[in-house]
Amino acid sequence: MLCDICKKNEATIHIKELHSGEIHTANLCSTCASEKEKNGELSALGFNLAEMLCNLGKISSAIKSHQESPAESATVCPKCGWTIGRIKNSGGRLGCPTCYNAFAPMLSEAIQNVHRGSVHLGKRMQSASPDGRVALETELSSRRHELDALVKREEYEQAAVCRDKINQLKAALDKMSTDEASHE
Amino acid sequence: MNNQIDRLLAKRVSFLADAGPDEDIAISSRIRLARNLADHRFPVSADAEELHEICNAVSSAAADSGALGCPECFSFDPEKLDELDREFLLERRLASRDFLNRQTGTRLLVKSDESCSVMINEEDHLRVQTMLPGFQLDAVWKQIDELDSQLGSRLNYAFDDRLGFLTSCPTNVGTGMRASVMLHLPGLVLAGQIAPTIQGINKLNLAVRGIDGEGTANQGSLFQISNQSTLGESEPQILERLNAVIGQLIVHEKNARRLLLQRDQFSLLDHVGRSYGTLRHSYKLTGEEALNCLSGVRVGVDLGMFTSLDIHTVNELFIGIGAAHLQKKEGRVLSSLERDICRAALCREKLKI
Repeated sequence: MLCDICKKNEATIHIKELHSGEIHTANLCSTCASEKEKNGELSALGFNLAEMLCNLGKISSAIKSHQESPAESATVCPKCGWTIGRIKNSGGRLGCPTCYNAFAPMLSEAIQNVHRGSVHLGKRMQSASPDGRVALETELSSRRHELDALVKREEYEQAAVCRDKINQLKAALDKMSTDEASHE
Repeated sequence: MNNQIDRLLAKRVSFLADAGPDEDIAISSRIRLARNLADHRFPVSADAEELHEICNAVSSAAADSGALGCPECFSFDPEKLDELDREFLLERRLASRDFLNRQTGTRLLVKSDESCSVMINEEDHLRVQTMLPGFQLDAVWKQIDELDSQLGSRLNYAFDDRLGFLTSCPTNVGTGMRASVMLHLPGLVLAGQIAPTIQGINKLNLAVRGIDGEGTANQGSLFQISNQSTLGESEPQILERLNAVIGQLIVHEKNARRLLLQRDQFSLLDHVGRSYGTLRHSYKLTGEEALNCLSGVRVGVDLGMFTSLDIHTVNELFIGIGAAHLQKKEGRVLSSLERDICRAALCREKLKI
């Protein structure tokens, strides 16, 4: 079934509403539903919508709507042989761990859409590797620049969010140092 | 017929039958971790041979580590189970429908007390799960963190310094952690406060689902609250955020129950009484009706209306009234009508006071 709005994508979200005894139905693709939600048109449907626009929907729509360059279209994962087309068809699922490197530009966009940050601050299996520290330090430096820019533009609400993120990154680096010391 | 399923059937469901913190409102706390092996394709793209190789590697690691109490643990190969047994594991919250439908190269390992389990070759190579009664995500994290470390020291997990644990779907990348608490919120439902509450929770980037995930919104006034984001925060930070929101929800639910008692006492008592009457005196009960009535009786137990009825008896019935549990108990496949008759008989028997 095609989306009632764009008439192009497959409808994955089906809404039924009861108004004055009459049932109204809407069949939407995740992109059009997201758009409607942004405009507040679906806010009355809070529960169902939240259910339907779960992260998978967001990832899948971010990946589906990604306009790849000709070079990206030709990219093939060296480990599993998957292409962007194959990932799009599997609802945003990847073929193997190496896909994260092979399709990094498209994925970083999709990942930013869904998660609260772009760097892993949690558990690490092995004792901290130098690469892990570099990743955190690079992120910390870029967040500090972002904070300066936000303060200059007097965007204090976002600056507060950015400051919290900086504190989390510092805590993760401190924990890494403590773990390293305890291993020595 | 699988003997292990019969052994499970005979056991009490500890995450429902044991006492836990804030159990008047929080039924259970669960965390699952998604993990993958570095040198293999994800299950969605791996062929049968590779899936079996992964399955054997993870099973050996679990056996070596003793993490799940193996060899005393349960081990199920879904492809060898009939449909009823698969449905039973689903109702028991030990496996997902997606996992049970996959079958090739899959295996489910379950600790004998059912608190921990590992699905091998679900969407990811490993889906590790730990579940405890009541509201105690920190205790669940402690258990699962240890289990994960034991398995991880024997397996080469796919891990990236910047992105963390690599998962088949990027929605799980990073910590690979989904933590959830099952809450019973009849006060907020009866007071008409549930819709705005859920909208508020969604704005905090947390997900709200019904008892069986999508499509079961509001059944039995049971709601699962879980995190959506898995990257950019550590596991304790994610849990802290969830704990704060769920703590608030529990306070709101308690207030809603208190206000209902003060302002509309007879409506609440009538709701509980009718629920009990239906369960105690019916001879045919559908799953949905039974679930909604159990929800009403559960509030009554909390209000002290049934002094000889234990809240855990009601909790266990949430699973006991499931179609697969009823059929396994009877030892045969039942028609829909027969299930409704057996369900009513079970409720009449268990809810005698």
